[in-house]
Amino acid sequence: MAQARNAVIVGGNRIPFGKAGGAYASVSNQDMLTAALDGLVARFGLAGQRVGEVAAGAVLKHSRDFNLTRETVLGSALDPTTPAYDLQQACGTGLEAVIQVANKIQLGQIDSAIAGGVDSASDAPIAVGEGLRRALLRANHAKTTAQRIQAFASIRPGDLAPETPRNSEPRTGLSMGEHQARTAKEWGISREAQDELAAASHHNMARAWDEGFFDDLVTPFRKLSKDQGLRPETSVEKLAKLSPVFGKGEGATMTAGNSTPLSDGAALVLVSSEEWAAERNLPVLARFVDAEVAAVDYVSGDEGLLMAPAYAVPRLLARQGLSLQDFDLYEIHEAFASTVLTTLAAWEDEEFAAERLGLDAPLGAIDRSRLNVNGSSLAAGHPFAATGGRIVASLAKMLSDKGPGSRGLISICAAGGQGVVAILEAV
Amino acid sequence: MASEEDVDVELLDTLPGIGVEIARALVPTRRGGPDGQLPTRRVMITDLEQDAERFTAYSRVCGFTLRDSVPATWLHVLTFPLQVHLMAAPDFPLALAGLVHVSNEMRLHRPVDIGERLTLSSSAADLRAHRSGTQLDLLGEARVGDEVVWTGRSTYLARGKRPSGSPEDAGSLSAGAEAPADPQNPYEKAGEASKTATKIGEVPTALWRLPGGLGREYAGVSGDVNPIHLTPLTAKAFGFPRTIAHGMWTHARALAALEGRLPGAYEASVEFRKPVLLPSTVGFSFAREGEDLAFRVTSRDGSKVHLAGTVA
Repeated sequence: MAQARNAVIVGGNRIPFGKAGGAYASVSNQDMLTAALDGLVARFGLAGQRVGEVAAGAVLKHSRDFNLTRETVLGSALDPTTPAYDLQQACGTGLEAVIQVANKIQLGQIDSAIAGGVDSASDAPIAVGEGLRRALLRANHAKTTAQRIQAFASIRPGDLAPETPRNSEPRTGLSMGEHQARTAKEWGISREAQDELAAASHHNMARAWDEGFFDDLVTPFRKLSKDQGLRPETSVEKLAKLSPVFGKGEGATMTAGNSTPLSDGAALVLVSSEEWAAERNLPVLARFVDAEVAAVDYVSGDEGLLMAPAYAVPRLLARQGLSLQDFDLYEIHEAFASTVLTTLAAWEDEEFAAERLGLDAPLGAIDRSRLNVNGSSLAAGHPFAATGGRIVASLAKMLSDKGPGSRGLISICAAGGQGVVAILEAV
Repeated sequence: MASEEDVDVELLDTLPGIGVEIARALVPTRRGGPDGQLPTRRVMITDLEQDAERFTAYSRVCGFTLRDSVPATWLHVLTFPLQVHLMAAPDFPLALAGLVHVSNEMRLHRPVDIGERLTLSSSAADLRAHRSGTQLDLLGEARVGDEVVWTGRSTYLARGKRPSGSPEDAGSLSAGAEAPADPQNPYEKAGEASKTATKIGEVPTALWRLPGGLGREYAGVSGDVNPIHLTPLTAKAFGFPRTIAHGMWTHARALAALEGRLPGAYEASVEFRKPVLLPSTVGFSFAREGEDLAFRVTSRDGSKVHLAGTVA
């Protein structure tokens, strides 16, 4: 594709991801996003500078956080004249934010940007029940005292029960895990394969921490200096002992060990034009090549909730004239171990290629030694909107280490049956 | 519905209150029974303004996105008081309390806006023998000016006596295929498989968690205050173990689940097979069959069918 200029990944910063109810139990989204942003600003010497824009989001969001990212900028070391906005695409939020700013940079609308996201499963919003909420709104809209009294009088005891956010798809009433359990069963993904992938994720990420890979990607926060859910000593044997939590009865394979835990955290990426980075003597890790978003009709049961990346990637490859094997590294978000495995299985499946993708041949297998080389969400945790920023920054650094021209593929599944995928290339 | 212009018309000023009608129907009267005559008149109300506030509440309770255009089930809700008015009248041959709504068909001829004023009417038709009693239809119609925008047919079953002279061989009855498999349960239909051999999967694609107070909520927005839907105690008085959900709520909730896939004009048909006890979690699934949509509300595991329907 002809484009005016490159958008490049300069670097990234995140805070270690915490377990829900853990290190960040009393910390808000804005606190975490500010910590990640200030760390990024310090790392790249941006204090007092105006950046083109900051784009970030959160999936679970309080109504008071209507301008979360702008408020974060105002409380950060950045120049307060830096514009910012919130963006949300479920678990695709962080990557979508990067795509958004990269496109603006390529078009020449901005020269630099910070993109990513934050989420807290601990400090989740709890809403008042629907009856109470409507009564309060009616009272608020009331013009006379009598109307106001009438509104309050309509509140019944049952209305006082709070509403906590449900981790389920609004249109199906099924949790993400229940959805994925069906997909995993359909594709015949074994318990063993899932546990192996989960163990590898922990081992790879533990090794990466030990090697100091995250030293320039993470800023400690609230006494946490490493991802809280990381279990270096886990093993396939230990994981095999866990009972299934999703799906029912015989053939249930998904456990707390091979599913991502609820987590808290924030991650951001610094994206710019090559000129902007050069002027500041900043390193350039990778070029943002292209991205694609797909969605599937999971409501009818026609396709699995988390299968959209299986459709997005072939579209992206076709546009770029690449094959699935043309990559040095693959980052497939581990919402569940089985999500990664069903996605890979779909790409290898002839029937799926013919009937679902309309292709003559399947995309084929990948070299598994290039997959999630430094671990992924099973080990790090998955604060929904923060995952995209974590993956983009880590992959850009890994590609840079591999040398110019090395290419990486990112695939992230998201609630609502969506999938966000992108290609990076080391410069 | 019969659209001859010479039928008797009973013109109402306002929509009748269903509670009042139910009370009226309880007044002892000598009714004609299965051998009686259905009233030939049509109950009508003209130039009715739709209640936008009530429609908002209806949309929330049934799970519809609030739109300016109304679903077919809303127009049923508007004509339902006319049906009940007719069925509660002293000259109606069957007792209202014994009538079970077993199936429903509606056709939305064109999208109807909440701001449109409607002429609604209802009449009774086709008193006929059924394997386990007597069936009849309540026909409904909604017009905007002279244009028919919605028509409906609600089929009711009165268990027990059949019209005299009807053939004893149940199999030869026209409605034989729909006869209950379980004589204790008028909702249960035999011959399900043949009628709804669908592509719908065994396992529901969605779960609905229905609260215990759903019947009261729907009564509030639909006006249907039939006691079997209101409290466990009143439901027990009518032979149900717990409160049961309104069939037309279940129908509406199913259309709401299909929103976005519904054409501007459509025909919806459902069979009410087994009552949904409250509170409970039920399953929902649907599949495209050619141009049509087939859908099902089932038990959580998909084994029992509460409601089966199609949208064409």
